[in-house]
Amino acid sequence: MVDILPLSSYPSYIDLLPAIQTCNITNLPENYFLKYYLYHALTWPQLSFVAVVRPKNGYKTQGQAQGQGNVAGQYPKVVGYVLAKMEEEPTDGVQHGHITSLSVMRTHRRLGIAERLMRMSQRAMSECHRASFVSLHVRVSNTAALHLYRDTLGFQVDTVESKYYADGEDAYAMRMDLSNMWLDWAEIERKDRLRQASEEGKDADEGDEVGEVGKKKKEGEEEEKKVRVKVGRGLGVGDLVEKSEVQAAT
Amino acid sequence: MKALIMSNQGQQEEAFVLAKEALKNDMKSHICWHVYGLLYRAEKNYEEAIKAYRFALRIEPDSQPIQRDLALLQMQMRDYQGYIQSRSAMLQARPAFRQNWTALAIAHHLSGDLEEAEKVLTTYEETLKTPPTVSDMEHSEATLYKNMIIAESGNLEKALEHLESIGYRILDVLAVMEMKADYLLRLERKEEAAAAYTALLERNSENSLYYDGLLRAKDISSDDHKALQSVYDSWAEKYPRGDAPRRIPLDFLEGADFKKAADAYLQRMLKKGVPSLFANIKLLYTNIGKRDTVQELVEGYVSAPQANGSADGSAAKDNIDFLSSAYYFLAQHYNYHLSRDLSKALQNVEKALELSPKAVEYQMTKARIWKHYGNLEKAAEEMENARKMDDRDRHINSKAAKYQLRNNQNDKGLDKMSKFTRNETVGGALGDLHEMQCVWYLTEDGEAYLRQRKLGLALKRFQAVYNIFDVWQEDQFDFHSFSLRKGMIRAYVDMVRWEDRLREHPYYARMALSAIRTYILLHDDPDLAHGPLPVINGSDGADEAERKKALKKAKKEQQRLEKIEVEKREAAKKALANPKSTEGEVKKEDPDPLGNKLVQTQEPLKDAMKYLTPLLEYSPNNIEAQCLGFEVHLRRGKYALALKCLSAARSIDASNPTLHVQLLRFRQALNKLSEPLPPQVAEVVDAEFETLLPQAQKFDEWNASFIAAHKDSIPHRQAYLTCQQLLNPESKSENEKELTSTLDASIVSLETALAGLDLLSEWGSNQTAKSAYAEKATSKWPESTTFRLG
Repeated sequence: MVDILPLSSYPSYIDLLPAIQTCNITNLPENYFLKYYLYHALTWPQLSFVAVVRPKNGYKTQGQAQGQGNVAGQYPKVVGYVLAKMEEEPTDGVQHGHITSLSVMRTHRRLGIAERLMRMSQRAMSECHRASFVSLHVRVSNTAALHLYRDTLGFQVDTVESKYYADGEDAYAMRMDLSNMWLDWAEIERKDRLRQASEEGKDADEGDEVGEVGKKKKEGEEEEKKVRVKVGRGLGVGDLVEKSEVQAAT
Repeated sequence: MKALIMSNQGQQEEAFVLAKEALKNDMKSHICWHVYGLLYRAEKNYEEAIKAYRFALRIEPDSQPIQRDLALLQMQMRDYQGYIQSRSAMLQARPAFRQNWTALAIAHHLSGDLEEAEKVLTTYEETLKTPPTVSDMEHSEATLYKNMIIAESGNLEKALEHLESIGYRILDVLAVMEMKADYLLRLERKEEAAAAYTALLERNSENSLYYDGLLRAKDISSDDHKALQSVYDSWAEKYPRGDAPRRIPLDFLEGADFKKAADAYLQRMLKKGVPSLFANIKLLYTNIGKRDTVQELVEGYVSAPQANGSADGSAAKDNIDFLSSAYYFLAQHYNYHLSRDLSKALQNVEKALELSPKAVEYQMTKARIWKHYGNLEKAAEEMENARKMDDRDRHINSKAAKYQLRNNQNDKGLDKMSKFTRNETVGGALGDLHEMQCVWYLTEDGEAYLRQRKLGLALKRFQAVYNIFDVWQEDQFDFHSFSLRKGMIRAYVDMVRWEDRLREHPYYARMALSAIRTYILLHDDPDLAHGPLPVINGSDGADEAERKKALKKAKKEQQRLEKIEVEKREAAKKALANPKSTEGEVKKEDPDPLGNKLVQTQEPLKDAMKYLTPLLEYSPNNIEAQCLGFEVHLRRGKYALALKCLSAARSIDASNPTLHVQLLRFRQALNKLSEPLPPQVAEVVDAEFETLLPQAQKFDEWNASFIAAHKDSIPHRQAYLTCQQLLNPESKSENEKELTSTLDASIVSLETALAGLDLLSEWGSNQTAKSAYAEKATSKWPESTTFRLG
């Protein structure tokens, strides 16, 4: 059975990064140093998710520190991941997310894992960063991935980027609107005001279930056929890492 | 300044000379000391760098850049007290920056002073007159970070209360939900906890940890199957496409209930053609009844296929898909060690492939069946066939390469990998695999070389993985400053803690075990430094001469390979001679690509320690590590440490067969010491070991009772026989016979049988004994090639 877990928020499963890197280099031609994964996990910790196989007798409960058992330190098998980010300097100034890499082992297809990973990430982009949309690149030959993005998730082809991949293949640049999942900031601000007003009176209105704010309508119901997905930056890894180092150094 | 530039250009030595010169000229210049520190830092000599920075700071106490550089290194070195000092100074200098407050809180937090950490954060918060805007991510994360500290201090009531008061404006909605559920459950506020886990499941119904939490919150006993089932059923109904609520009940249901649920589950997944179905189901097989039920069900599907009379094309196709999925399932079922029948596995996979000739997964299983037959050559071939069915897919390409490595075909494996690597990288495909930190490949490659006794190349690969772990540790450095600017403090703190236990990763353990084995081989037979040598039996003159001949040949071969490598390099240099130096990047070329320098070490055991120390520190519960640690320490004459490994191994698994033999070997080693141990050591060792294997113990009896307790285990019998051999070397031929007769047992596995063959080498048995064993094994596993004697 496959569990979908957050990578580096709460609880943190950041120790799965080496296995995520292995999953990537086993499945896809676009590979990165571990530092580039770290860069994602530490810059946008809420956006990346990982799919792991639940161990035979469940996860060990680890003492008091974590109440309900925790995957950390147990190194379950990683069968998929989504590595995501926010566009750092959007040319048009519009905040949006970007899928850096998504992969599911071919032995674990047809379970809807890629779809779930994507939905979790999209929602986080919308809630945490108020992303207007999410963008990604996909090989024009990758019909399975195209099916997932367009038919199952609702992406639209934005443009075709010629020779995007290192091997010369073109990419579809796709995007999907996320503003429907934004948190209700006006409501939050209203609560802020209530709270300030009742500072001396104590106890403001804050009983609402946090998770219900901006809740998504429902998941797509149609059957998903195939799940293998290839996405990645055509950039050389040298470029990518340099970028993260430059950022770390300035 | 010039020194700094030189250093950046990779001319470290010249840079140091210049810097020293500068210091001689002006001992009181903080700039000179700062530069000196930077040079050390570039060399990763952090301790010296810290000293130099401290000198610089003493001269110029107000210099922010020096203070900052010092602080970063203190963090990297986990000098928390120093880091607190530095961060306090930096905060005092620039209190307007939130980062400086957060950094001081982190320093206190990681040093273990949670109270002070919380206080620092609160002090800053109180300076805020109005709450920052909702969009202020740094603030959102900082408040959650404070909550994390409160929770870690153990005061969950307070943590929950704090979370309730801030939660509504936290942007990381999922984290707040997770934290809340966690706190509530630990506070035993069960009703609210159940609601919190329900909310989490509504967000993500495929996280079994949420179900675990929900059931605990609902106080449903693990024996109350009805109640459990009804919870899962309700979620399966709510999310019809979910897997978890359908699959989990199979874990606890029994008997007819199990059969009914398994039937529905299997049919549904077979219809969908989910390839991971078997991987998901096999976890149930430790329960023999469930294993048999599953087998019966799926055999039923294929023997009585739905007699769907309609000639409807799509229904017919669905039928075929269902049937081929079922055959594929059975192929994996009979290939699995708890339900193995390899000829049935092969029959089923053939049927599946007949129906769906394009299914790559089916072909992959066929290769795996041959692997279990012990025919690695055929396995590699079949995996190659699978690869050809979809040659644009890297996953199957990776598997094909792995199977070639398992078959000791290093060059072919690399050639396969090169179809997806960036071959323009320095060092070609192999260079790219190093650069992209492809740990699995490097480890498999090294292990293949180890099996072939090409120890230089084996060590080369293990060293490469070792270095990757160093790089991963080094990777955190930039984040000490970067994360403060980004404000994602929780993730940063989790990262720091993870880095502290980086080498507990199974990737490290596996590589280290192999590296240590290599060094032990090298210690026991230093001639292996020159390449693979035939195993020599006994010590009669003829063999001695033969060995000398073989050694000479190996040395020659080694020289030949080295020459080829040099020529290859020269050719590559010439090809690159045109001055198109790649973006000024200075790539040092590897002076020892074959690992000859590594393998010609004078102190293999000392080198082994480099791998062993982190292994024992971070994987103390790995019994293989403890047993191997014993081997290293014993050879180094470190009796107290060897004993420590034995004690640790015993507390992990007192009945471990390797441990059993090692106990006796240790006793014999103590009895045979050429000079007595120093009195203090002897006292400790004797007292401790007395509890493991008492001196007064009659070893024959001890060994006999061991085997009596483990009658039905072949590995234990092998250990028993090895002890017999140690206790009474005269009994060798009897032991050999008995070892060979273990092959008659129906339970003996191929791997165990192979270990038996190695045992004969260990005992120094002659060729006749080995041939007899190998022949018998081959007749038991006719498809296997692993018993071929080299």
